[in-house]
Amino acid sequence: MKSKYADLEKLKSEMLTCTMCGFCKNVCPVFLDVGWDTGSPRGRMTLAYGLITGELEPDGDLVNRIFQCTQCRDCARRCPSSVKCPDVVLSARREMIHRGQAVESQKTVAKNIRTTGNIFAELEREFPEEHGATPLFIGCQHLSRTNSTKKNIALLKKLGVSPRIVREVCCGFPLELMGFEEEHEKQVERLKETFSVNEAPILTFCPGCKVHLEKIFEKEARHVLQEINDRLTPDKIAKPLNTKVTYHDPCDLSRGAKIVKEPREILSKLGGTLIEMKFAKDTSRCCGGGGSLLAWDGELSDRLAVNRMQEALATGADMIVTACPTCEQTLRKAGRNVADKMGTKPLPVYHILDLVFRAIK
Amino acid sequence: MKIIEKRAGPDSIARIRKIVGEDRIRTSQADLYVYGFDAGMHRAIPDAVVRPANAGQISEILKLANERDFAVIPRGAGTALCGHNTPVAGGIILDLQSMNRIKEISPGDLLCVVEPGVVCDNLNEELKTCRFFIPGPASSEAATLGGMVATNASGDKALKYGATRDYVLGMEVVMPTGEIVRYGTRTLKNASGYQMEKLFVGMEGTLGVITEITLKMAPLPEKTAACTAAFRELVDAGQAVADIIAVPLFPAQLEIMSEICVRAVNKATGLGLPECGGFLLIACDGHPEAVKDEIRKVREICEKNKAFFMDYTEDPKRIAELWKGRKQMLSALSSLKPEFVTVMLADDMAVPISKVPDAVKGFLEIQDKYDIYIPPYGHAGDGNLHTKVLLDPENKEHWLQAEKAVKEIYDLVLKLGGTVTGEHGVAISKAEYFRKERADAIPFMRAIKRTLDPKNILNPYKIFDWEDTFLHLLRYPVEYAEADRLLSPDEVRK
Repeated sequence: MKSKYADLEKLKSEMLTCTMCGFCKNVCPVFLDVGWDTGSPRGRMTLAYGLITGELEPDGDLVNRIFQCTQCRDCARRCPSSVKCPDVVLSARREMIHRGQAVESQKTVAKNIRTTGNIFAELEREFPEEHGATPLFIGCQHLSRTNSTKKNIALLKKLGVSPRIVREVCCGFPLELMGFEEEHEKQVERLKETFSVNEAPILTFCPGCKVHLEKIFEKEARHVLQEINDRLTPDKIAKPLNTKVTYHDPCDLSRGAKIVKEPREILSKLGGTLIEMKFAKDTSRCCGGGGSLLAWDGELSDRLAVNRMQEALATGADMIVTACPTCEQTLRKAGRNVADKMGTKPLPVYHILDLVFRAIK
Repeated sequence: MKIIEKRAGPDSIARIRKIVGEDRIRTSQADLYVYGFDAGMHRAIPDAVVRPANAGQISEILKLANERDFAVIPRGAGTALCGHNTPVAGGIILDLQSMNRIKEISPGDLLCVVEPGVVCDNLNEELKTCRFFIPGPASSEAATLGGMVATNASGDKALKYGATRDYVLGMEVVMPTGEIVRYGTRTLKNASGYQMEKLFVGMEGTLGVITEITLKMAPLPEKTAACTAAFRELVDAGQAVADIIAVPLFPAQLEIMSEICVRAVNKATGLGLPECGGFLLIACDGHPEAVKDEIRKVREICEKNKAFFMDYTEDPKRIAELWKGRKQMLSALSSLKPEFVTVMLADDMAVPISKVPDAVKGFLEIQDKYDIYIPPYGHAGDGNLHTKVLLDPENKEHWLQAEKAVKEIYDLVLKLGGTVTGEHGVAISKAEYFRKERADAIPFMRAIKRTLDPKNILNPYKIFDWEDTFLHLLRYPVEYAEADRLLSPDEVRK
């Protein structure tokens, strides 16, 4: 009998290859927080299996479990059978969205992108066009932090990058993560109309945009940290950091793009003393901001961020540094939440680009 | 086989909700469906999933179960491999993962005290700081201590360090009728009556719910070195194992892998092990001088048994990589061929160590006879051998061929004086052959069960009470419509 979930059915071999060994459970930030097997990667795989076999109906609880995933891909990293659990979740999300299961906050994000090309519907956010050699994709998140991004662009120029900036639209990644398949396809078309690529690699500020643009354009996209690390020499440092830092690896940058060395080298060049968290580099725990979880379940996202913040605090570092605007936002909020409870000052959270800008001549 | 349902009705569920509180009970279709599965081949749907906070709540639930006649299935991380967690008669799943406190670590007394939901690797991470450890199974990064005790789990260190059974000093158990009882002691020795704490080791959730465990700790060795050896023939590797033990030598770990297993591990991990018919992975630990001497002797024996390649390392990183590769065998095999998956059939037999060469030779003959993949590997040093059947789980014929092959494997194992399960347990998957192995003991095992659990509340229809073949309640989509019953016992016997 054919399943009514044709998209998900294509991934049946993933579900059958899963030996249910459970190694994904103890790396999943959601399972570690909620504690029920249903909230684990293995649990989500099982639910997907129940959908294609026709034994389960997509009721509220099931749909909730499918969307309670940060797409951090740590389960896929750990899976000894190389099962693509995150892909199964994305497919299940597409099936759910097709069946009208989106919540208002998700619909709002999708509408914002559809009507304004920007996740925040911030039409006024744009940067003057520039006509340099390197196509720079700023991304919705960085567009909305105008002052910092101006500095970030100035930093690139100081380091000798000549950016090409156009009036851009969202890369569509949030739509893909939420499961809005048709909207995602349309957005990719729009993106291709507005953002043309040339022979130079695309440069991105946002880890998610890097991963997504690479897939869409089927060509290399570089994250700014790669470019900065290549160009940043000790003689360019005017004000060394001279402090203890811990670094939070954004999932799309570490597990997605395999960029873990560059931020650490940059922090070292800045004069920071790096203290690693227990889970770092490719085993880094998600801050709760990934996989559109923020749009689905803000409370869970907040708790995951607090869990990560606790790890950062355990290092004794004076600040936590990251390289993703969403991580920066979730961690900053978590820092305040923890501080409020403890009656202390929040651990300062910095975007690494802001630190580089401050430190160089 | 007739199964009398022991379902928890709405009234019982409402009572349990009052006992544990709203946040600790789930009855949604999603939760019930997910908790019907574990790492074994079987599945069924429970009536509720409950996460008790303490022994008191468990006691109340078990008293209610006796009163209302519903089944209770204790469960840890759900990594059991033989259907231990399958609620075959319905009832409630007791998910013990939230009882996960490490209550005490006392290096001076050589013991630690934990709740059942503590994950083995998490405990070992804490014990490492005072240079102790508890040897765990290959699933130690997911498996809980409660589950390990309930299945007498063991892994690649059992030859030198023993199984979970050897570490249990005492425990708190909620009896099937609800009494909370302490068994054993906080001493390394005790001769005070029946060693009841050992009765609950390997009971597979049928005799009580373990709520606290006092464990002896083993000292972390000063040094570990690993040696690998590749042989053209698997049987030569098997002979080398028997010769090493006969010296006598007790390596910390002594693993054997067949050709397909080496390929699977290489594909999954990129370890780059040499292609060969049989492969040994050996670790020696202890005082540096003793380690050196042991490794020298091991290498000599491998050479004598025609090893064509040998390697040696003291690098902890490389040693960790080698063992991580070995621990991933089950999953590595599952992804070896796109059309096949690993199913938990004939997965952990043990034979007397001297019979390892005969066993591996026989397994390969059975593989060829039925033209299916049955790659042998295992903790050969303690005679514990694994085979996993690789098959297309949607192909009924594959299952039938596998069933015939499995029967021959178990017949061979019993002929060699072995056991059908060295470390995973019986539950459903191995019950049919377990009945052959332990025919004379079963009436007495059953008498213990009937005495302690007169209403047959705890994990019913398992071990000796599963009176059928393993081809039932399969979790694979072998024709969805009849997934609950693939073949009748008569059909299988034909």
